[in-house]
Amino acid sequence: MIRPLEHILIPLGLLAVGGLLGWSFFLAVTGDAGERLAPIALARVPDSGVSNPVTSVLLNFRAYDTLLEFAVLLAALLGIWSLGSSGTGFQPAASVLDGMVAGFVPLLILSAGYMLWVGAYAPGGAFQAGALLGSAGVMLALAGHRNAGLPSEGRLRILVGLGVFVCALTGLLLMLFGDGFLTYPAGFAKWLILTIETAATLAIGATLAAAYLGGRPAAHPTTGETA
Amino acid sequence: MIDALPLAVTLPLIGAFAVTVSPLHARGLGLMAAVLTVASALSVTATVWSDGVLRADLGGWGVPLGIALEADGLSAAFLAMANTVALAVSVYAGGYFKQESARHFWPLWLLLWSALNGLFLAADLFNLYVTLELLGLSAAALGAITGTREAVAANLRYLLVGLLGSMSYLLGVSLVYAAYGVLDIGLVAEAIEPGPIAWTAMTLMIGGLILKAALFPMHFWLPPAHANAPAPVSAALSALVVKAAFYLALRLWLDVFAPVLNEAAANLLGILGAAAVVWGSWRALRAERLKLLAAYSTVAQMGYLFIAFPLLAATPPGLARDNLLAAVVLLALTHGFAKAGFFLAAGMVQKTAGHDRIDDLGGAAQALPAATFAIGLAGVALIGLPPSGTFLAKWVMLEQAMILGLWWWLVVMMVGTLLAAAYIFRVLSRAFNREPTPYRFVNDARTELPALLLGLIATFGLGIAAQPLWVLLEQGAFG
Repeated sequence: MIRPLEHILIPLGLLAVGGLLGWSFFLAVTGDAGERLAPIALARVPDSGVSNPVTSVLLNFRAYDTLLEFAVLLAALLGIWSLGSSGTGFQPAASVLDGMVAGFVPLLILSAGYMLWVGAYAPGGAFQAGALLGSAGVMLALAGHRNAGLPSEGRLRILVGLGVFVCALTGLLLMLFGDGFLTYPAGFAKWLILTIETAATLAIGATLAAAYLGGRPAAHPTTGETA
Repeated sequence: MIDALPLAVTLPLIGAFAVTVSPLHARGLGLMAAVLTVASALSVTATVWSDGVLRADLGGWGVPLGIALEADGLSAAFLAMANTVALAVSVYAGGYFKQESARHFWPLWLLLWSALNGLFLAADLFNLYVTLELLGLSAAALGAITGTREAVAANLRYLLVGLLGSMSYLLGVSLVYAAYGVLDIGLVAEAIEPGPIAWTAMTLMIGGLILKAALFPMHFWLPPAHANAPAPVSAALSALVVKAAFYLALRLWLDVFAPVLNEAAANLLGILGAAAVVWGSWRALRAERLKLLAAYSTVAQMGYLFIAFPLLAATPPGLARDNLLAAVVLLALTHGFAKAGFFLAAGMVQKTAGHDRIDDLGGAAQALPAATFAIGLAGVALIGLPPSGTFLAKWVMLEQAMILGLWWWLVVMMVGTLLAAAYIFRVLSRAFNREPTPYRFVNDARTELPALLLGLIATFGLGIAAQPLWVLLEQGAFG
């Protein structure tokens, strides 16, 4: 049986909206715009302290956006924590999975460090490195480690806020003693970006792993090793 | 060099980190961050007041490459209102939340505050999207903080609706960026031309924002979310968070899409606003609980703000339009103070009586004189009786509608005002039906005084002393 509303009108309406959006987008990209941002950004990459254009946009040209993104991640995790503590987790893994996890987790941590460093001149950076750290935590959780290898709540609270704190503090100090908020002085850009990215990698990794647990970490972890 | 613009955004962020790290001292640290944030935000408003538009190029790159923060009269006015209300909410929350919920409340609340200040000061379309995300996420998390089933369900819906709104806004931003290659509001305004791209982008962006501003018929998520949150959170959600979406819609309307506007779009917003006024007021009149009444009243009050769009579109630039714009802003600011005061006082009533059923409020006036007085004052401002700011604002709007010959907006506003009077007096009449017994006027200073002060500002402060707002709004950033 054909219900006219569900089978004809709504799909047709959605098609019309989609067509309109597609048409506008086509007009937008084929239209003759003035100078776009990408060439301007590429031209200034050498002044940004890093040679990877993505990193220079994220951590230098638009670092303020990234500061607020760190805050979004923190808000998401605090929201999860406000709803209660995590469940009991998975049962301990058998020897094969346990052995694999024992091998993979150090590799993931090592790759995260590499990703963080390589972000200066090639694809990589804090978000990718943090995702690798987070996945190490998820692996530990799947193998039955109750707190996904995360430290005690007191230290975890410092870790997850580190990205926001280091980035905001750097910005404020540069404003007080330098040229302006998040305005890196010449020659220091690379090291300031690396400092912020290191803090952000730890924060993102800890946040993702803690979010996977789905609640506040248990007070007394049954298996406590740090990832 | 101290630049108050980034301070107003970063101080609450640093505060959020501090209260996250030491949850045992959440209240003290949180209040300290609140005071510092208010000081920096009010200094922004004061500087705009005396020296004109403020601008900060973050990162030192300048537009179009970097992001700028900018405060003109409109942002400064909303910034001052939001930060004053937020300070009152913080003082109230210091007494309201006990140890366990306080440790969850403070970090999320400071993140929300940072998002609000960031939104009012942003001059970049994509940066505005990030502030909207932070605002929506922290608002939904705060609304669900009690953990009850109704609160979690209502706020999950709020979160999803908010995400849909942000996505729609982001789609509009990406269309603008694809077509014009810039994100700074001033540069986009220079580049934009009437045509299908601009119209689609405007529909997507303003459509997403009216979803977040709970304009009828997209208001369905608001009453359960606002009524089930703890009182200080309801106050912030109703007074500030929906107001931020309205501010952004107004900002885009005035500064970005001004060259491409047509009257049909303005009239559509006006008609939805009119429906919101009637429907919201009617549901408020029928509400059984005090906080649900306040939530539906927010739906109605947001409607008035959108009725301003057709009036603004029909008024030629000049003194009359400036007056009308100032009146709309005054209406939004007064509602912010009044609704926050109303929710804070309602929370006090709920905490003392153990419920907030309007029919069983007997004797509330005798038991809690200060809270009832605050509800009365906020009510005066919600109805629009003199000398409240709402009275002045509605007067200017009605006058302009009559001059333009658009009498139907006048009818809607009168009906809404009558209904508002009915639902406010319904509460007050229930509160006074017991023999007077000598109780103390103020029972709990920390929770009742903020509500009372907000009510006083809404009724007397903004009504009798509205003149500064006109001066402040002369500091336009874009002409």
